[in-house]
Amino acid sequence: METVKVLNSDEFAIELKNISYCYPNVEEPCLKNINLTVQKGKFIVLMGATAAGKTTLSLCLNGLIPQLLEGKLTGQVSVAGLDVRKTAVQTLSKVLGLVLQDPETQIFGRTVEEDTAFGPRNFQVPLDEIKQKVNSSLESVRLKGYNQRMTEELSGGEKQRLAIAGVLVMEPEILVLDEPTSELDPIGRSEIYATLNDLRTKKDLTILLVEHSIEELIQKADEVIVLNQGEVAWRGVPIELFRNIPLLSKWGIKPLPVSQIGWNFYEKGWISFAEIPLDIQAAEGMIRALLPKYGLRQGQVLVLGEGLGHTQEQNKDCLLKQENQMSEKKISVQVSELFYQYNSAQPALRGINLTIEAGEFVALIGQNGAGKTTLAKHFNGLLKPTSGEIIVEGMKTLQYDTSELSKTIGYVFQNPDHQIFSTSVAKELEFGLKNAGFSGKEIKERVDQALQYTGLERYRSVHPFSLGKGERQMIAVASILVLKPKLLIIDEPTTGSDWAGVQTMMALIRKLHSAGTTIIMISHDMDLVAQYAKRVIGLKDGEIIIDGTPQAVFSQEQILLDSAIIPPQLCRLSSHLKDILGNETFIDSSEFTGMFESWETTGC
Amino acid sequence: MLIEYLQGDSFIHRLDVRTKMFGFLGFMILSFIFQDPKYQLLIVFSMGLLAFWIKIPLRKIGKMLVPLIPIIISIILITGFTFTPERFERVSSQAILFYVLPGDRLGATLGGFLMGTTFICRLTSMMIASSVLTLTTSIDDFTQFFHKMKVPAEVSMMLTTAIRFIPTLDKKRRLIIEAQKARGTKFNEKGIVGSIKSYLPIMIPMFINSIMMANSLSMAMLNRGYGLTRTWTTMRELSFETSDYWVITLTVLLVTLAIFVRIKLQIGVL
Repeated sequence: METVKVLNSDEFAIELKNISYCYPNVEEPCLKNINLTVQKGKFIVLMGATAAGKTTLSLCLNGLIPQLLEGKLTGQVSVAGLDVRKTAVQTLSKVLGLVLQDPETQIFGRTVEEDTAFGPRNFQVPLDEIKQKVNSSLESVRLKGYNQRMTEELSGGEKQRLAIAGVLVMEPEILVLDEPTSELDPIGRSEIYATLNDLRTKKDLTILLVEHSIEELIQKADEVIVLNQGEVAWRGVPIELFRNIPLLSKWGIKPLPVSQIGWNFYEKGWISFAEIPLDIQAAEGMIRALLPKYGLRQGQVLVLGEGLGHTQEQNKDCLLKQENQMSEKKISVQVSELFYQYNSAQPALRGINLTIEAGEFVALIGQNGAGKTTLAKHFNGLLKPTSGEIIVEGMKTLQYDTSELSKTIGYVFQNPDHQIFSTSVAKELEFGLKNAGFSGKEIKERVDQALQYTGLERYRSVHPFSLGKGERQMIAVASILVLKPKLLIIDEPTTGSDWAGVQTMMALIRKLHSAGTTIIMISHDMDLVAQYAKRVIGLKDGEIIIDGTPQAVFSQEQILLDSAIIPPQLCRLSSHLKDILGNETFIDSSEFTGMFESWETTGC
Repeated sequence: MLIEYLQGDSFIHRLDVRTKMFGFLGFMILSFIFQDPKYQLLIVFSMGLLAFWIKIPLRKIGKMLVPLIPIIISIILITGFTFTPERFERVSSQAILFYVLPGDRLGATLGGFLMGTTFICRLTSMMIASSVLTLTTSIDDFTQFFHKMKVPAEVSMMLTTAIRFIPTLDKKRRLIIEAQKARGTKFNEKGIVGSIKSYLPIMIPMFINSIMMANSLSMAMLNRGYGLTRTWTTMRELSFETSDYWVITLTVLLVTLAIFVRIKLQIGVL
């Protein structure tokens, strides 16, 4: 930081002095006294909980605040030496390119070429030059040769990269990206990151990236800036931040699972702060180094570990048997020979056979387009099988309407904004009950219950759209919960939520599960899947390729690799430690720490 | 429906948009100066040939025509009964086939039925011709045409954006319908109030989502320099080829000939 001050001011790509901003009709300022400088050529990651002001800050940088959005802005923003207040957004766009969250609204052209050319056309760049620029920027986002493709037919990742190309084509010095990967699957995400890395090395761009998760970026980013409630809370190198678990949890940032293990050892005093691992190799090394010193004797570990496994399994078996005796295995979902075909294209589902028992917690995983959502939509009759049969809670979906099935089968969609239409949270919750034909008193009782259950009580009469995305997501869940479904299907319940939001949501789902609701969750977040689900079903090209406990599924690395699924970090670590762990796959950091002496008691 | 562009490289695809527009105008004139269904049938037939030539899915156009059958029948009936003999120049057309009501009232004229047939033919050939036009002309060409006709740039921008967002909004609509169905919405409630009420859960999120999209769209447009100047680089200059001149000449000749035949020789009237 000291050296930064010595630098000449024209070496700063971005310079913020005392920035405060308040949205119109809102009392609490969104940004408070932000002082920030970014050196040219740096790769900065901007992190923080939702509503910390990350998006607002990026809008300030290219002049959309205050030029398009009203509200009160004080302080001075300069970008590459230009005063943002005095320079038109359009002119600034040649200096600083901003890629917004939703690629859909950033694509104007029908073909890829038409869209990419949009920017330079506005600056009346001659046609030949435009063609050249379009081609080179498409190449730099790995969309070479896509020129004549229809934008509508691109995949999510391709759309996002096209949005980046549309900004790059104006050849800015600085690139600001606001959560460009929030709705992408792991493959799409790594493509974006690879693109950014290319850009940085080849074009020497200054990059400011707003992002929730950072696992892949720790080694690539120069600095992390953490915003908390509109203020710069922390700034420094990523490794410093990600080793400091308490700091992360304070700001609502997801910690890396391996560093969680490391932190436990650091607290014991076994390793120094700088030794807290941030990737799998380091974690492997740490565990190997510590085992002889503090671990249970190796032989013992194995025996104990296996013993543990057995007893647990036996216990489980006993429990299962007990359950069986108490109530005969109730089947929640029974799918036989399901085929489904969208109009004329390849079949989206090919011969699915599946039984889900009541009370299970199932996660559906797979790449985008693998058929997860298509399968799930069959469970509540939104889609009817082309051939085959589905029986859900004793009802053949072919014979029932979705409105009938919705009384016992809840389906929460990914985007809450597609369903919210009432003027208050309570009214939103009443809607489903009215459809199901409940009476006044029952409706009131159930709404009260659901509000309490989801922690939305204080928002009862608030307009849903005045709340944040996390709360809206919760409203969507609550509006299904009022119906007290026996089977709950949740599609990507944590997209775009911060770590705190993710935990609240998952805690709620776990609570529902332990209350006996059958849960089917679709998710790209393998850490969550491993941590919460009891059974994992992997799909690829419309077929089930793997089905089992999280431990069993995530140890099948080859199968997962083929279907472009990256197992959770801890499972990958387990496979690195195969010689020690045998065939066991750990999915929780406590299982690793359990291998060591002082956790002996907790391990058992 | 009509805005679909059929990728292709046929003769008509390659014609300049202005030539096509001119040809379309010529066709309209032809279609309107002749009253006799015989000539109209000729026009329909030649339009059909044209469509066949560029391999336009005629079945698609047929599908569009099917729901119009009741209208077609009623047009023939209405013209048949309402066109009085005095409206026709030819004696043969003035012939009254029969009366519906006693006392020689509400007579059906032969000319009326023929006129009805003409209307139908006009309708059909118009549909084929406009399909040929839209299916062979890209949106880009149309915006170029507007540009040449001195229509402001904002209009063509609006047009292209609207067309670009039709599939997006349609996807939104489907997602919203699914989300509401999952909450037990029924879309078949009775009565006008009931049916309007049952669409509120679709319409409101649709509006809200559109507004949110429009909001970020406007940000993204500014972001990419829209509105800095009032003009922008045209992606493709329109240019006439030899074939364009041929087609234009042919059209002019054909229209002149038709006008001569119709006015001087009094052929093709009823």
